[in-house]
Amino acid sequence: MAAPVSRLPARATRPVVDGFAALGTHSTFYARVLAAVPTVLVRYWRHVLRHVNDISFGSASLLAGGGTIGVVFAMSAVASTQIGLEGYRGLDIIGLSPMTGLMSALVNTREIAPVVASVALAAKVGTGFTAQLGAMRISDEIDALETMAVPSVPFLVSTRMAAAVLAVVPLYLVGLFASYAATSLAVTQIKGQSSGTYDYYFQLLLTPGDVGFSLLKAVVFAVIITLVHCGYGFHAAGGPEGVGRAAGRALRTSIVTIAIVDVLLTLTIWGTQPTLPGVGA
Amino acid sequence: MAFSPPPTRTAVGDAFAQAGMLLSFTASTVAALGRTVVRRRLAWRDVLEQAWFLASVTTLPSLLVTVPLGVVVALNVGSMAGQLGAEGYGGAVVAFVIVAQASPLICALMISGVGGSAVCADLGARTIREEVDAMEVMGIPAIERFVVPRVIAAVLVTTLLACLVMAVGIGASYGFQTLVLGDSPGGFLGSLTEFSRVEDFVIAEIKAAAFGVIAALVACFKGLTAKGGPSGVGDAVNEAVVLAFILVFVANTVLTELYAAIVPARGAY
Repeated sequence: MAAPVSRLPARATRPVVDGFAALGTHSTFYARVLAAVPTVLVRYWRHVLRHVNDISFGSASLLAGGGTIGVVFAMSAVASTQIGLEGYRGLDIIGLSPMTGLMSALVNTREIAPVVASVALAAKVGTGFTAQLGAMRISDEIDALETMAVPSVPFLVSTRMAAAVLAVVPLYLVGLFASYAATSLAVTQIKGQSSGTYDYYFQLLLTPGDVGFSLLKAVVFAVIITLVHCGYGFHAAGGPEGVGRAAGRALRTSIVTIAIVDVLLTLTIWGTQPTLPGVGA
Repeated sequence: MAFSPPPTRTAVGDAFAQAGMLLSFTASTVAALGRTVVRRRLAWRDVLEQAWFLASVTTLPSLLVTVPLGVVVALNVGSMAGQLGAEGYGGAVVAFVIVAQASPLICALMISGVGGSAVCADLGARTIREEVDAMEVMGIPAIERFVVPRVIAAVLVTTLLACLVMAVGIGASYGFQTLVLGDSPGGFLGSLTEFSRVEDFVIAEIKAAAFGVIAALVACFKGLTAKGGPSGVGDAVNEAVVLAFILVFVANTVLTELYAAIVPARGAY
C-alpha cells in the first residue's frame, strides 16, 4: 500500500498549483475583457447603455433602495460625517479645530471618498455582476450564447466594463458631493464651528488637481471591481451556493486589491511627503 | 419559515416591509437565543464550526487590507502633522483612527462581505431546496439551529479579529512612519501611549461585536428569505452585502458619537 505515500507531495502542492492556475485563468480573462472593449462600444452600444442604466439606478426593490446612486450617496455621507466629527476631535486636541475644513478638502478628496464610493460600488454593482453572471453560468446560459455564436466574454463582460466606466464618473461625483456636504454639516451643525472658518480652510486646501486625481482613483477602482467581480461570476461553479460563495470571494479580492492599489496610487500621485496646498511650509 | 413578505406594489412599501421583517427576525433570534441557553441546547459544535469557518476566510484579507491602511494613515497624518508643527502627533492619530475606527470597520467589511455572503449563500441554497422547511416540519426550529450559532460565531470572530487588526495596523503605521518617513520612534510611541485609553479599546470591541451581530443577522435573514432559484440566491447575497454595509456604517457613526458624548477626550498636546 505505497500509493497514498507517493500521492502525498501532489496533495501538498495542489493548493499552490491550483492557485497559479486560477491566477492564469483570471489574468487571461481580464486581458480578453479589456481587449474587446473598443469593439463592444461599436457593436453592442445598446447593451452598454442598458447596463449603464442598470448600474446607475439598479433594481430599486430592496431596503437599500434608490439603486446604486442611493447606496453610494448614503455610504459616502455617513463615512464623511464620521471624518468631520473625528477630525474635529483629533485637531481639537492640538488646538487646531478651526482647521477642520482641511480634513474635508484633503482626506475626503484623496482617500475616503474614492475608497468608500468604491466599496459601495463593489458591494452593490460588483456583487450584482457576480450574481448575474454566476446564475447564467450555472444554468448553462453562457454556453448557450457560445453555441449561438455570440462571443460570451465581449457580449457579457466587456459591455459591463464599458458601462461601469461610463457610469462611475457621475456616480462618484455624487459620492464626492455627499462627502463634502456631510463633513461640512457635521462640523458646522453638530460641532458648532462657524461656517465661514470652515469654508475658508476648505476652499484654501481644495485644488482642482486633487479632485481630478480623486476621480482618476475612482475610475481605476471601478475597472478593478468590474474585472474581479465579473471574473468570479463568469467562472462560478457548484450550483446556487457556488454563486453566493463566488460573490463573497470576489468581494474579498476586490476590497483587498482596492486597499493596495489605493496606497500605491497615493504614493505615486502625492509622493511620500504630501504637502498641504495653500498653507505654505 | 414565518418570514414570507406580504405582496407589495411600490418600492417604498417593499422597503418598509423588509425593515419590519428584519426587526421581527431580530426579535425572534433574541428569543431563540434565550430559549437555547435556558434549555441548554445551544449547538456548541455548530458555533465552533462556523467560527472556524469565518475566521479562516476573513483573517488573511483583513490583514491584507490593514497594512496598506496603516501606511495611508501614517502617510497622510504623519507628514501633514509635521507641516502644521505637530511632529509627534502621529502616534496619537494612530490611536484614534486605527484602534477606534478602522479596526472594527475592517472586521465588519470582511465579516459581512466575505463571511456574510458565504453564510447567506449556504442558507439561501438550503432554503430554495426546501431543506429548511423540511427541518421545520421535523420540529427543528431553523432560527435556533441556524441563526443563533452563526450570530454567536460572528461576534466571537469579529471581537478577536479586531485585536489582531489593531496590532497589525499600529505596527504597519509605526514601521512606515519611522522607517520610511524617518520620524522618531520615541515620539510616536510617546504620543501613542499618552493618548490611548482603555476605553478606546473597549468601545472598539463593542463596535466590532455589534457589527458582527448586524452582519450575521442580515446574512441569515436574506438567506432564509431567498426565493426564485439559483439567481434568487445570488440576488439575496447581493442584497445582504449592501444592506449589511449600510447598516454597519450607520451603526458606526451612532456608536462613535454616543461614545464621544459619554467619554471626553483625554490629554492635552
